[in-house]
Amino acid sequence: MAVLEKDQMLSLAENAVKSAVKKGAAEAEAYVYEGQATNVGIELGQITKSNRIIDQGIGIRLAVNKAVGFAYTNIIEGHNVVESTILKALSAARANKPDPDWKGFPEKKPYATAEKLFDPKILDLRSEGLVDIASSMLNAAVSVNKRVFPIEGGAGAAYLSSAIANSNGIAAFDKGTIMECSLAAVAKEKNRVTPVCFEFNAERAYDVDPAWVGKEAARLAVSALKTKQIKTETTKLVLTQFALQELLYYTLINAVKADNVQRNQSPFKGRVGEKVASQNVTIYDNGVFPSGLRTWTFDGEGVPHQKTALIEEGVLRGFLYDNYTAKKEGVESTGNASRAGYLSTPSIEATNFHVTPGNKTPDELLGEVDDGLLIYYLQGAHSSNPVSGEFSVVATPAWKIRKGEITHSTRGVMLAGNIFEALKNVSIVANNERKMGQLIAPWIIVENVRVIGK
Amino acid sequence: MEEILANVNELAVSQFGAEYAEARAQKLHKTMLTLKEGRVEVAKQGIENGVALRVLVNGAWGFASVGSLNAETLKKAVSDACKMARTASSRLKAPIKLAETKTVNDRVQVKSKKNPSAISMEDKINTALGINKAALGYDKRVKSCTIDYLDLTGTNFFVNSEGTSIEQDKLYVWSRITASAASKGVFTFSRDEIGSTAGYEVFDTEPPEVIGETVAKRAIEQLDAKPPKGGKSPVVLGPNVVGVFVHEAFGHLAEADLALSGGVLMNNMGKKIGSDVVTFYDDGTVPGAFGSFKYDDEGVPAQKTLLIKDGVVTGLMHNRETAQKFGAEPTGNARAEDFRVEPIIRMRNTFMAPRDSSFEELVEGVRSGYYFKSFRGGQANLDGTFQVGIQEAYEIVNGEIGEPVRNASISGNTLETLLKVDAVGKDFKLWPGRCGKGQTAFICDGGPHIRVKEVIVGGSA
Repeated sequence: MAVLEKDQMLSLAENAVKSAVKKGAAEAEAYVYEGQATNVGIELGQITKSNRIIDQGIGIRLAVNKAVGFAYTNIIEGHNVVESTILKALSAARANKPDPDWKGFPEKKPYATAEKLFDPKILDLRSEGLVDIASSMLNAAVSVNKRVFPIEGGAGAAYLSSAIANSNGIAAFDKGTIMECSLAAVAKEKNRVTPVCFEFNAERAYDVDPAWVGKEAARLAVSALKTKQIKTETTKLVLTQFALQELLYYTLINAVKADNVQRNQSPFKGRVGEKVASQNVTIYDNGVFPSGLRTWTFDGEGVPHQKTALIEEGVLRGFLYDNYTAKKEGVESTGNASRAGYLSTPSIEATNFHVTPGNKTPDELLGEVDDGLLIYYLQGAHSSNPVSGEFSVVATPAWKIRKGEITHSTRGVMLAGNIFEALKNVSIVANNERKMGQLIAPWIIVENVRVIGK
Repeated sequence: MEEILANVNELAVSQFGAEYAEARAQKLHKTMLTLKEGRVEVAKQGIENGVALRVLVNGAWGFASVGSLNAETLKKAVSDACKMARTASSRLKAPIKLAETKTVNDRVQVKSKKNPSAISMEDKINTALGINKAALGYDKRVKSCTIDYLDLTGTNFFVNSEGTSIEQDKLYVWSRITASAASKGVFTFSRDEIGSTAGYEVFDTEPPEVIGETVAKRAIEQLDAKPPKGGKSPVVLGPNVVGVFVHEAFGHLAEADLALSGGVLMNNMGKKIGSDVVTFYDDGTVPGAFGSFKYDDEGVPAQKTLLIKDGVVTGLMHNRETAQKFGAEPTGNARAEDFRVEPIIRMRNTFMAPRDSSFEELVEGVRSGYYFKSFRGGQANLDGTFQVGIQEAYEIVNGEIGEPVRNASISGNTLETLLKVDAVGKDFKLWPGRCGKGQTAFICDGGPHIRVKEVIVGGSA
């Protein structure tokens, strides 16, 4: 695949910054992005499609009299386009009101080298290779049981690169690859269909395991066929990474963003050093986690990624900052300014949100459960109260655990509680950590959660 | 533009073996604002121009998206798309075919009273500041107010190898307002959205000060609310909650691609799955509504599609591919978020038809239950399990609205719940929203007030 070169992207960014300052910006920043992705898609049990998406563009952020404006374009061929984008950013800034808390773009800092971000084999992967991966995943799934019906999935390879420059002298480039395969399946018996079961594998290097993904999605779907209702009770939950990702994204991750803390939208405000979770809970945001899916050299403002302590043995240690919120408090940015490519301005987001693992294997963890539920997929976590942490969600399917063994699946179970209370009730953390989007975590046990059966 | 696109399609068919080719170009301009407590974090403007090329070769799809309107770049991209389709077709068991549609040649122009592209950035900032002022000024316990604003204007071009050629103006105005309140260790949160395809005049019918106050008032009211009791309960649902219920619990299951994936409607076509008062539509033709358009992204005219009539499943939402599989007509539900993605089956304006009950009659029928007025989010599964989170709720005690209730949600199975709808109101309202199905689509949903004999209420008490 032909991609934009480092020098091309850097000079585009640096020239845009120079030109913006010349045109009247007090200071300026330019972010150039390229993403190229090739995917092969599965629909209704067969490979039906392949696509390639090439997206590139430049976003220019600048300040005039402490008022910030931003403009972007996805057309970067030709001098005039970038120039007119700069003029749009200037006119947006001039229409805006001054912000007394605006204290400028970040200053230059040394970067550490993040490990294993880029695999040239992924860059060269074509749809033929992806068809092979998708088809071995499909074959693995249907070989588990003929009642399995793969409904959707695929295999994809992506190359991402970015260059950033600002008027404080930052000029940096980074590139990386991501590869993934995923499968959603149901199991069918007579007229009954299970809820959707899903598995995936995403890696920075060319080493995904499609056969495991296919088998696991199929195994989960088949095990959801035999189902019994459960009663309303307060019980123990084993939360897998799927459930944790849903619950934490809409609650805890918001609570540790400095922006929300400063704006009185976090129950953690003023509580650094206090115990906010059980001593089994230790969480870092680690933007340099080796081979992490969100591992990059720098963030969306050119600030180095780093490892930031959030909760250590239950004690709140700190928050996630971008340049603006850090300067407002007189601290250093933690490198958590995130961008959705060229078309967004930076906002605070976790990088790799790492719940550190314990010692127990998943089997040993289940062995500790006399009576409880194993939770994979949640519906409705996005309707949690992001400020209070209260959630009221549906787990479907979920699996009943008795005396350390999974006995049967159940559907439509409602779980109600508060994530900040749940953190205090984490009794055991397993050793089976895996990467799932921005989460890196093992299975955990949470005690005393209200479960509403049918 | 149309000529370039037609040439690319011609190349796909004559040189690269495509049985069908379509080219969809967009030239769009966006303005966006984010305000936090009256501080305009950033004022943004952007241009997104690009082309999506989709081809069918040997019954498999190939798709290429490029951020360029350059003829040479497009020729290369369509060659790639055809190659990829051929590769994807190598293991195909059932080739994809498309239902026939009439070819269309049309130019669709937007006529808005206040086109957002003619409104200055300063005016847009002032509108957002007005909302913020009303929200923060409502009560000292309102701690934060975030306002996102977006307008999008421009033109889409759709040309396919069958002779259809459409130039269609696009216009969307959208804003989301969230507020949080805090008092005595209780944190509450409230949000609303407005959205229109008519124009900036949406702020004349939804005045900034009213929107701000509504959102703030809800956050404040929840401060003294109590948690609901978990378990089965009769409920009265407001149009806002009915809308998200129709959309999530039924609408997604009536998308033909999800029905084919094993959704519960597949075995229920033509069957009675709801009580006699249940009638649902998905309508792409409501003037000015956030989910309306004239042609979908396969060049098929939008229409008013009857999904369920008096409790009986009558239709599904189709694209050309699923319509062919079902032997049905395409319904104009194929939508793509932008040039980067393929069109998939999406809802438009989805709603329940009103009947004849008054609000008082609905509430009078409940001895002990809840009135759920406004939703926070919702989600459903193929097996019909749904969840709707509620942001504004009240107790119903002996047929009267009582104390406010906080952080409730409802759940159940669609097929069981539709049979339990026992009365439907005569009022009606549509609400704008955004639906996520891998891509984001602008939609509306709504209906009248309704009463449901029993749902599961998720509560911590």
